[in-house]
Amino acid sequence: MEAWRLPLSSSIRGKLISAGYTSLPSISSVSSSDLARDVNITEEEAFEILRLANQSSGSSSCNGSRSLINGAKNAWDMLHEEESLPRITTSCSDLDSILGGGISCRDVTEIGGVPGIGKTQIGIQLSVNVQIPRECGGLGGKAIYIDTEGSFMVERALQIAEACVEDMEEYTGYMHKHFQANQVQMKPKDILENIFYFRVCSYTEQIALVNYLDKFISENKDVKVVIVDSITFHFRQDFDDLVQRTRVLSEMALKFMKLAKKFSLAVVLLNQVTTKYTEGSFQLALALGDSWSHSCTNRVILYWNGDERYAYIDKSPSLPSASASYTVTSRGLRNSSSSSKRVKMM
Amino acid sequence: MQNGKIKPENLLRRSPTNRKLTTGCEILDGCLRGGISCDSLTEIVAESGCGKTQLCLQLSLCTQLPISHGGLNGSSLYLHSEFPFPFRRLHQLSHTFHQSNPSIYANYNDNPCDHVFVQNVHSVDHLFDIMPRIDGFVGNSKTRFPLKLIVLDSVAALFRSEFDNTPSDLKKRSSLFFKISGKLKQLASKFDLAIVITNQVTDLVETSDGLSGLRIGNLRYLYSSGRRVVPSLGLAWANCVNSRFFISRSDGSIVKDRSEKDESCSSSVSRSAKRRLDIVFSPYLPGSSCEFMITREGICAVQA
Repeated sequence: MEAWRLPLSSSIRGKLISAGYTSLPSISSVSSSDLARDVNITEEEAFEILRLANQSSGSSSCNGSRSLINGAKNAWDMLHEEESLPRITTSCSDLDSILGGGISCRDVTEIGGVPGIGKTQIGIQLSVNVQIPRECGGLGGKAIYIDTEGSFMVERALQIAEACVEDMEEYTGYMHKHFQANQVQMKPKDILENIFYFRVCSYTEQIALVNYLDKFISENKDVKVVIVDSITFHFRQDFDDLVQRTRVLSEMALKFMKLAKKFSLAVVLLNQVTTKYTEGSFQLALALGDSWSHSCTNRVILYWNGDERYAYIDKSPSLPSASASYTVTSRGLRNSSSSSKRVKMM
Repeated sequence: MQNGKIKPENLLRRSPTNRKLTTGCEILDGCLRGGISCDSLTEIVAESGCGKTQLCLQLSLCTQLPISHGGLNGSSLYLHSEFPFPFRRLHQLSHTFHQSNPSIYANYNDNPCDHVFVQNVHSVDHLFDIMPRIDGFVGNSKTRFPLKLIVLDSVAALFRSEFDNTPSDLKKRSSLFFKISGKLKQLASKFDLAIVITNQVTDLVETSDGLSGLRIGNLRYLYSSGRRVVPSLGLAWANCVNSRFFISRSDGSIVKDRSEKDESCSSSVSRSAKRRLDIVFSPYLPGSSCEFMITREGICAVQA
């Protein structure tokens, strides 16, 4: 009954123990919100209990197993967290729906396709959409755009930003018909300012930049999406040591995963496609796929189907395989106009 | 592998709007929203005789225009891998250009040809030898105009006979594409250059895997002179350029006589001289097209 030992008021102590939390490990293994719910106390009180519990378990002789439990989460907590995670819309509702609502934060999503299919367009759209304020259902965050190919054109980003502002004005006008518009309206120029644009001209610059991101994002905590366009361009040259290349790419992928988890942001890696000689024939595959196919949580393939652009969920731990069509307009990414069978379940 | 000196903070850029280089033709510029973009690799794909070289020569001259007139106030470097280089045509266009823009040259008593630097390139290795010299040339240039445009005409000719069709040779070839593209983009970024690369086409031969007809870009099919064609150097090279424009000509077997005195771009010029430029893909241009003709004065677009 170590819970008796905690320096708490007797009423709270009583509630804790009658709820079944008699030992310290049982307390430290839940989140403060669940503890509050379970024990019928406020979150601040729960937080204080956890702090004390962790403190005392640290000072007493702990066996190895306790350190395993501290910091571990149960599956319910994780599901709750995942469901409440914000998602970044692509401005194409069909694409959003096969993505489970949009690009998810805390995940690394790889998007690949042939030249001209719209990878850069999606990248720019996401770096604009992440900035949609919370009042309009967005994240109100900022974006980092790492351009390795020189495809990012400010005039195009401005076009998309202007369309986004227009759409938001329409939305807020509709929702707040009877209210004064006292919030600061976003202007397209502001949207561009909130995209931290990095131009990378070699693989060494790319590696150095990825290593620097942790520091940069720590100083700019409102960054909620990191887009790399494209992740593989500088690595498709001849490398003297292919083993080293694979290692470098895997390390980079791992760093992105850590960034995504640590800062709860979305990482979107745009990739090229190549023809791969497998099983006696040439097939389309994502570039350098073998080096790091394990490091991305989700993978989306963009392709042409007749005269329409389609996106296909190739890999995801939770999303079913499905495809959806989209178009690239002057205003950015949108649903395609042919409404029949836009979303196809596989 | 240089550089302990990379400061990642310095890579953060407030990028201004990309500057555009006029093509010398208002309608073509309209289709391209101003012209050829700086800090970008633009590829012009066409079969022989469609006007790629004409357009490149014209761009080389237009580079010298002041920025207010859509130029880059700069000189150009013309790397040619195809022989012979059309010196006479360059002089012809230069003459017209000089007459139309006398103020640029009046005070210096020079002429447009003085600011187009022509260099032949006979192999991929030769190209890699030249690149560091370009870096030095742009940096320390004592010429009147700084270098602002690099033309590579054509990239396909560099790879014509050096590689076989085996998977390993194709792979080697692919990695050279990325190396060339990487270096040129680095130059473009560092000095804000416009880079134009021409490429050829091959007739489409359907293979069993169906990948030779793989759709890349806004056009499902590319036709020129009545035949279905594909840009040379395949999918790998397509990944190396920022924009791809396709110039085609329709099946014009009828050759009408053109009056030598016909200075205007009116419809009295023969149908066979008509060319069409299509935007295959671009990071900022919608798929659109434009028709033009090649006259003695240069490229001249036709009103839609």
